[in-house]
Amino acid sequence: MARSLKFNIFRYNPQDPESTPHMESFVLEETDSMTLFIVLNRIREEQDPSLQFDFCCRAGICGSCGMVVNGRPSLACHTKTKELPDEITLLPLPVFQLVGDLSVDTGSWFRELYDTVESWIHTKKEFDPKAQEERMENEVAEAIYELDRCVECGCCVAACGTARLRPDFLGAAGLNRVGRFLIDPRDERTEQDYYQIIGNDMGIFGCMGLLACEDVCPKHMPLQDQLGFLRKKMGITALKTFFKK
Amino acid sequence: MQTIYTDVLVIGAGLAGERAAIEAAQAGFSAICLSLVPARRSHSSAAMGGMQAALGNCAKGEGDCPDVHFSDTVKGSDWGCDQEVARLFADQAPIEMRQLAHWGVPWNRVVPGKDTYFKGGKIFDKEEKEENRGLITARDFGGTAKWRTCYVSDGTGHSVLFTVDNVCAQLGVEVHDKTEAVALIQDGQTCFGAVARCLRTGELRVYLAKATTIATGGFGRIYPGTTNAVICDGGGHITALNTGVVPMGNMEAVQFHPTGIVPTEILVTEGCRGDGGTLLDVNEERFMNIYEPEKQELASRDVVSRWMTHHIRLGKGVKSPYGDHLWLDIRHLGEKHITGKLREVYEICTSFLGVDPIHQLIPVRPTQHYSMGGVRTNKDGHAYGLKGLFSVGEAACWDMHGFNRLGGNSLAETVVAGGIVGKKIAEFLQGAEVTFNSGVIDAEVKKQQERIQNIISCKAGTENVYKVRTAMQDALFKGANIFRTDAGLTECVNTLQETLARARKVGLKSNGKGVNPELSAALKIEGQVKMALMLSYGALKRTESRGSHNREDFTARNDRDWLTRTLAYWKSEKDDLPTLDYEAATNIFHIPPGDRGYGKSEIIKADDVKTEDKG
Amino acid sequence: MSVPLTANHKSLQCHRWDGVLDWAQMLSGAGLIAFMWMHMTLVASVVLSPSIMNAIAEFFEATGMAQVGGPLVFLLFLAHFALAARKIPFRLEGQKTIWEHAKLLHHTDTWLWVVQVVSAMIILVMGAIHMWVVLSDLPITALKSAARIQSGAWIFFYLLLLPLVELHVGIGLYRIAVKWGFVQRSGRKGLKRGENLLTLVFITIGLLTLVRFWFLKG
Repeated sequence: MARSLKFNIFRYNPQDPESTPHMESFVLEETDSMTLFIVLNRIREEQDPSLQFDFCCRAGICGSCGMVVNGRPSLACHTKTKELPDEITLLPLPVFQLVGDLSVDTGSWFRELYDTVESWIHTKKEFDPKAQEERMENEVAEAIYELDRCVECGCCVAACGTARLRPDFLGAAGLNRVGRFLIDPRDERTEQDYYQIIGNDMGIFGCMGLLACEDVCPKHMPLQDQLGFLRKKMGITALKTFFKK
Repeated sequence: MQTIYTDVLVIGAGLAGERAAIEAAQAGFSAICLSLVPARRSHSSAAMGGMQAALGNCAKGEGDCPDVHFSDTVKGSDWGCDQEVARLFADQAPIEMRQLAHWGVPWNRVVPGKDTYFKGGKIFDKEEKEENRGLITARDFGGTAKWRTCYVSDGTGHSVLFTVDNVCAQLGVEVHDKTEAVALIQDGQTCFGAVARCLRTGELRVYLAKATTIATGGFGRIYPGTTNAVICDGGGHITALNTGVVPMGNMEAVQFHPTGIVPTEILVTEGCRGDGGTLLDVNEERFMNIYEPEKQELASRDVVSRWMTHHIRLGKGVKSPYGDHLWLDIRHLGEKHITGKLREVYEICTSFLGVDPIHQLIPVRPTQHYSMGGVRTNKDGHAYGLKGLFSVGEAACWDMHGFNRLGGNSLAETVVAGGIVGKKIAEFLQGAEVTFNSGVIDAEVKKQQERIQNIISCKAGTENVYKVRTAMQDALFKGANIFRTDAGLTECVNTLQETLARARKVGLKSNGKGVNPELSAALKIEGQVKMALMLSYGALKRTESRGSHNREDFTARNDRDWLTRTLAYWKSEKDDLPTLDYEAATNIFHIPPGDRGYGKSEIIKADDVKTEDKG
Repeated sequence: MSVPLTANHKSLQCHRWDGVLDWAQMLSGAGLIAFMWMHMTLVASVVLSPSIMNAIAEFFEATGMAQVGGPLVFLLFLAHFALAARKIPFRLEGQKTIWEHAKLLHHTDTWLWVVQVVSAMIILVMGAIHMWVVLSDLPITALKSAARIQSGAWIFFYLLLLPLVELHVGIGLYRIAVKWGFVQRSGRKGLKRGENLLTLVFITIGLLTLVRFWFLKG
């Protein structure tokens, strides 16, 4: 016997002067292998075509569909209804600017982040199209990829107490991004350069260690270890800088 | 109305678009990419496998060179590709991989020493050389003579896209995400930019540019089941075909993958079958061993897809709320193998289906995967018909894939073509002086505003956009699928013509205010049906079988009459059918048409009418 | 085409103090944790025998550690509060945000932080009172302590302060360990379990001590 599922969904269209923030309920019969991707599209096509939400790859790779599912920021596309109770509450991710209903603007947030942390390889070397590539140990490449795996869905930021309290906090995704360049031998930035970026309360010292980022990350990024590593590293740089004065 | 000027406007911020924008920016030009989603969410990120480039660093790739890569690509295309373009691509690919390494892509590297690998369920030995330690390594992919596919673990597309987007941020290439181009601004000769709709506010915006580039990827979403992301809906193609002067090339060339999971159509890798997985029907019995006694489940992609569809047609499919499907069985491979070598498959099954493939069957069916066709361009990426309009990547029919593309060639194409076309765009801009004609701009804006207003106010009718879309998808699924026949395609074209009439009567149920998703769908539906018609009508007229285009009533590859590329125009908005034209598939033959060396080989040669049957 | 290749944010100044203050917060916390454990152990010696406790107290008195160390601990206590308070929202808006956040998330570690903050506020007041009362009436003896606990509402005062302090100390230690990467992902679960156990043990010892004081007659 298929369950009847009740979805309480946050509704608000900021572009419509008549719209006010409220919760709206939709009821659907559960089907086999049902995911929130199927649920939301069915609601849009069968019940309310104005419902806003974001999906892209719907395979857990692109990070578009972050939303708060029964209190937990997660990717909607790989959330199966089978694992949820009969009543499900869907809210947009906090911290990010609301576009409408379940859709938020993660793009602007992350774009700003790239500029702040200068999210690119800093090198004085010029590319020589005729030369063989520079060698790199495979282990190093794999370690970089492990940190490069982040899909920037924003779940860690939405779950972060610090990010809720201070809008300029880089969040686990931002700090992890810096960590990715820190271990890349191609990037010529020094510890001092990185310290300029994250050696402050907007960066690693703003982290209060609540670890919600670690616990909600849909890609299971090693955020706890990464934040700990950065805090130690930047902490030592802080002392060096302080006593050099 | 906000008007934004830039030297280069790129519609789409996936790998191809961003890579092209980088070239322009490096040459000192301003560049803006428009994207439906933040750049890093583009569908390029979903390509897991890798990029083909003949670096020849790994043991199984020894002796590889661009010549071999070129030859594999031409054979793969079933001689439908432009050989000059395929040559450009193969030569540039290794350099591009090194460029990406320089920018920060963490390519997997050669680890010297002895190692083993699987092929067809058996274990073989190989030994990597010490002298190649730390160079970019490669993995094996179908249809290639050497191991040539450079990769970053299971996230090649993701990692390369992040790197390329980093470079864009560094160079100041702007990405306007949540922005959708709805029409090109052009006077029938020159393209001046595009009218776009902001997906944060719903407002229209004008982008004026000296060069405009369409890089919006594939259009798989016009099929009901596709491995493509939901944003791969052909939006960019629609802006081009609506000009009436830009043709779409080879729209009938569509690749299907045998094992998309049901529902949600996410791809599971060929490795499942490579390592010994089997396909089962509703009675949980094998069938590939009957249709293809020799190769069984391991026949080529298009062959397996064809038999699976045939079997479902016989009523042997498994019924489900998401349509009929078959089973993929990998249970006998054992837990160790499934959670080890096939970890990705294990994760997809558990995360998206809630199916445990160690003990349960995986629901699969052939699924639309790649569009070889698209906006027809010359080898510089310059679109036919409009000066200042370029196209690159899967969106374009640059045409290195012809009628079938090889795994790993599409992801490589995005960056290699992006680099080549980007340079050509910069060259084009060097001497370009464009006068923007305000009359043309205003007219296009007005036209789009009226169109939106009419859809919101249901002026032409109250057809439901989602129902029309389903009708279009179903028609293609039935008629322009893996198997194609005269009768099926004729019916498909007829149905689509009716659907087109309905698409023109779409009106909204909701109020259309702000970023209304129903309006976004409605703005595209007519163009999508036109693309579907280009596809099915082109397929109907192409009376041969080539690559992924399989006609049951014309089973041979006909080099005598069809060594051509279809060019489909939508000349007048009022038309109910596209206008087809043809051009030679390639002007230069480095490799004359011949046997591919795999699959069935039934060829009507260009110089005589003899059919060769090689079994 | 020139592209800046090294970090050159003018807007981002080197916030030298943020890192140092973070160290100070952690070290002051760690110091107080060490002190609390010692304090608890020493006071709990009364359970074995009041004379042991008296002997220890006399030792601290004779060496001057009580007279000097006491006020120093008080200063450390205030400093730790001031340092940690940098991260605590004192405005209503911030408090509302974090409260809603915690309620939304159903996340243990986030709630633990709320517990830490709330307990900190109460400990600030009660701890100060406790220290004032004890340090203004040196030397410490078992009988004086017992008399205090048996008079007025002091027993309730300590019944509240004890668990709050132990919770705060336990969570604080856990937080330092994970925040500074002393314990990695693999060790987090074990750490939490150990931490809970430790907190329980200290609360139990504390309760036993209070019971002993309650029944200790002169």
